[in-house]
Amino acid sequence: MKFSFNLLQSFFEKKVENPKKVLQALTFHSFEVVGMEKRGNDFIFDIDVLPNRTDCYSHYGLAREIAAICGLKIKEKRIKIKEDKNLKIDDFVLVKVKEGCERYSARLLFNVKVKESPRWLKQILINCGIEPINNVVDIANYVMIETGQPLHAFDFEKIEGGEIFVRFAKKGEKIVTFDGKEYELDEDILVISDVKKPLAIAGIKGGRDSGISKNTKIVLLESANFDPLIIKKASQKLNLFTEAAFRFSHGLDPNLTEIALNTAVYYFNNLYGKDGIKFAKGIIDHYKKKALTRRIGLDWKKVESVLGERITKNEILKILKSLGFKINKNFIVEIPTFRKDISLQEDLIEEIGRIYGYEQIKPKIPLSLLSPPKRNDELFWEKFIKDTLVSFGLTEVYNYSFVSQDDVDYFYQKDLIEIENPASSSYKFLRPSLLPGLLKNIQKNQALFSDIKIFEIGKVFKQQKEYKEEKKMIGAILMGDKFFEAKGIVDSLLKSMGITSFYFKPLDEKKFAERSIIWNPLRSAHIIIDGKNIGTLGEVFGTIIEKRKIKDKVVYLELDFERLARLATEEKEYEPFSLYPAIVRDISVFVPHDELVENVMNLIENSGGNLIRDIELFDIYEDEKENKKSLAFHLIFQLEDRAVSPEEVDFTMKKIIENLEKNSNFEVRKQ
Amino acid sequence: MPKINLKLFEQETIHQLKKCQNIKELDNLFKEIFSKEGELKKISKIIPTLPPLEKKEFGKEFGRVKNVLLKEFERKKNELKEKFEKEKREKERLDVTIPPPKILRGHFHPITLARKKIEEIFQSMGFEIVEGPEIEDEWHTFDALNIPPYHPARDVLSLGKTFYLKGGGIMRTHTSSVQIRYMEKNNPPFRIIVPGRVYRLDEIDASHEIDFWQLEGLMVGKDVSVANFKAIAGEFLKRFFEKEVKMRLRPSYFPFTEPSFEVDISCVMCKGKGCQTCKRSGWLECGGAGMVHPQVFKNCKLNPKEWQGFAFGFGINRLVMVKHRIPDIRLFNSGDLRFITQF
Repeated sequence: MKFSFNLLQSFFEKKVENPKKVLQALTFHSFEVVGMEKRGNDFIFDIDVLPNRTDCYSHYGLAREIAAICGLKIKEKRIKIKEDKNLKIDDFVLVKVKEGCERYSARLLFNVKVKESPRWLKQILINCGIEPINNVVDIANYVMIETGQPLHAFDFEKIEGGEIFVRFAKKGEKIVTFDGKEYELDEDILVISDVKKPLAIAGIKGGRDSGISKNTKIVLLESANFDPLIIKKASQKLNLFTEAAFRFSHGLDPNLTEIALNTAVYYFNNLYGKDGIKFAKGIIDHYKKKALTRRIGLDWKKVESVLGERITKNEILKILKSLGFKINKNFIVEIPTFRKDISLQEDLIEEIGRIYGYEQIKPKIPLSLLSPPKRNDELFWEKFIKDTLVSFGLTEVYNYSFVSQDDVDYFYQKDLIEIENPASSSYKFLRPSLLPGLLKNIQKNQALFSDIKIFEIGKVFKQQKEYKEEKKMIGAILMGDKFFEAKGIVDSLLKSMGITSFYFKPLDEKKFAERSIIWNPLRSAHIIIDGKNIGTLGEVFGTIIEKRKIKDKVVYLELDFERLARLATEEKEYEPFSLYPAIVRDISVFVPHDELVENVMNLIENSGGNLIRDIELFDIYEDEKENKKSLAFHLIFQLEDRAVSPEEVDFTMKKIIENLEKNSNFEVRKQ
Repeated sequence: MPKINLKLFEQETIHQLKKCQNIKELDNLFKEIFSKEGELKKISKIIPTLPPLEKKEFGKEFGRVKNVLLKEFERKKNELKEKFEKEKREKERLDVTIPPPKILRGHFHPITLARKKIEEIFQSMGFEIVEGPEIEDEWHTFDALNIPPYHPARDVLSLGKTFYLKGGGIMRTHTSSVQIRYMEKNNPPFRIIVPGRVYRLDEIDASHEIDFWQLEGLMVGKDVSVANFKAIAGEFLKRFFEKEVKMRLRPSYFPFTEPSFEVDISCVMCKGKGCQTCKRSGWLECGGAGMVHPQVFKNCKLNPKEWQGFAFGFGINRLVMVKHRIPDIRLFNSGDLRFITQF
């Protein structure tokens, strides 16, 4: 909000020399100063007045605030009004307030001559960001920036029947505003009307037909206090945001209306008294429930407890008085009506704190008993997983939770959660998976980096029947033909989390075809724990890759973080290892191309019994001509309680070979 | 009978021995001298043929020469061995100036690194780390925080910049919603921090994001004060930036705190002298804070006469940008490895 330093000056008893000092005090005790600009002989302040401090939406209010924080005195203006005894306002106007208006005041001005305003007045308006229009409107606006109360001037002769109503509009009622735009109104919009038609959208904008024109002679000056909520809603509904609407929707002191009217009359009289302007006797004033000062009890011990700083009673009294509050012996504080923001003891504590100065409060480490914080297990494992993946050479990325239609065209569409008001079409849905983001990362980085391995841990979102689900997932992507590296990552990661009872199962094609088609089912696997799928890894379908112009194969792995975190354990128990020597034998076997290695290993293990401690696959050779593959294993024979004899191993090897060759498609290579 | 000059033989042999360049040559020479058909054997055969007087003399001299040569051979052998070892070692010398192969290392996202640091600092001060949902309802995001519909603060605090979801629900605009969720379920005293993603409808540019990170803090007890906040926040900022930073509080307004303030820190670039980053003010905005509003306690079924405390909300992206001099907030969600691999 813009303020003229010269206008502020006019309220102080003594002139303030240095505007910078004032601004610094404002910053530390009241409001943020956005800027200061020299214009002619004036300084224009740009100040972010806090939205609850409507008392400072005016030069007078801000001057009062500056006086409090800088220890200055305010000069009270005495306003005397010469009314014309022969022109009684009640003989001309009748106002009926139906709803939405706490106070409606008005005065009637005769012999008005509409013309241009004097230069000094126009200049102050321009400096404060208001466009001068004519002397009547300009004085109304000038009074608004001085007092904070928006005024509206009607051409009285355009009001039919001399009756004015404050009421909600009827559905379909129309009004053309001052700037020539037509608005269709409804029952949520408050209007000022005469017997026939709306004259103005209450508190927002005046109508063209009832506005001030060159020919206006009689002016009805309205000074009202409208319900903030009604004005706010109407302003949003009509998409019409005016200076008056802004002020009304923040809530104003109803006691301002009369002060503002009289201030306006004072200026009209000063400027145009010689021209014969006359003011009707009396004032229209609908003010059913007078706003009274509030009383709040203040416990000065509470002040010390909340601020954590001992401030003397005298100091507290001084601060409250400087703000215009009255305090009695029992520390009952009386709050003037213009401070609508103060209704609780805590509000008073804030006043004391900020005027005293937050910079004066000395930091104190809390002395409460130190109870150690509870560990957040999920976050512990999240960190653990990130540490592990980074140690495996993967780099962490963060992607938007929002994705575009193109990003998710291969996902099951009915699960997607759509944003009602997206920032742009690129951010239309909540991501159903971490894959779309990771693919974008690959696409973006492939020209500059080879061997890209990245991961993200973050929320994914899905529309369930009854609710919207959000789930934390781990997603990792490896560029290249790296299924087994990805599998190794899963294997090592899960084991490091103390999870051992998992296995990999070829992808269930049918189950996946119904939903999202991400992975090539012939080159992908489920990760199973206790019969449940906790993740999937495999090659992303070529069509998806090609569409995103990715130059190589891509392996994507996805794990349900929340389930993994529940299964993970830090408990590790020492297992004694055998003190007896091991005997290692190799075996190699030809099996059909489509035979699962796991089956062969299981067969060996079952034939070997407890003598076999471990089986390691050390070579695979694919013989495409024969449609066979050769598997070579190290078999490690070892017992915990005694040494294994070579004869036992020979016997077991024989049994293994026999069992393998029971399958006519298997052929053990003889050494 | 040839006259044998043992002296000459000794000199000749030593001369040859000195010429040996390696163990093999030395071994060959040794064999020439000491083997069964060697020179010494040949000489020794002469001894019986000598007259008795000379025999004794010659035998004595022969013994001496033999011993001398054995010692010389041993000495030469050691010398050559040492030379050989030294040459062998010399061949193994590494050129340590050769550039190393690239070791592929993973990198953490800078937000993760900041979160680790933040969480570590607050945990050491007794704060529990709490998370909450990103899809929220209006009660936890606005109403419970004393921001009813059409409240002017919804616009001013840019909380009106809310993403609405089709079929109901909103994306949280601040992590303060987790304050409410925590207070609904727990009884004071408590101290928590909530690091999390928040979402605001905005035009994305170098300093505005729609999807960014916030750090919420809440400490409630019988006598938790503004002075306590200053101590905790000051300690956090000092440890986060790993240098002395000044902190200042300016009056502000949030519906959910009373008193409310803005938290500024002295510019870490120019140490408060004024530079481009701090727009010549010497100060950087860090976030908002205040004492929990009594109505917020009431909304969580806690008695405001019994409890008081502070809450704060800092922007994590902003803290990281200041710390690492990152000029553009869009880098965080860019997935650009040229950015991430710097951390």
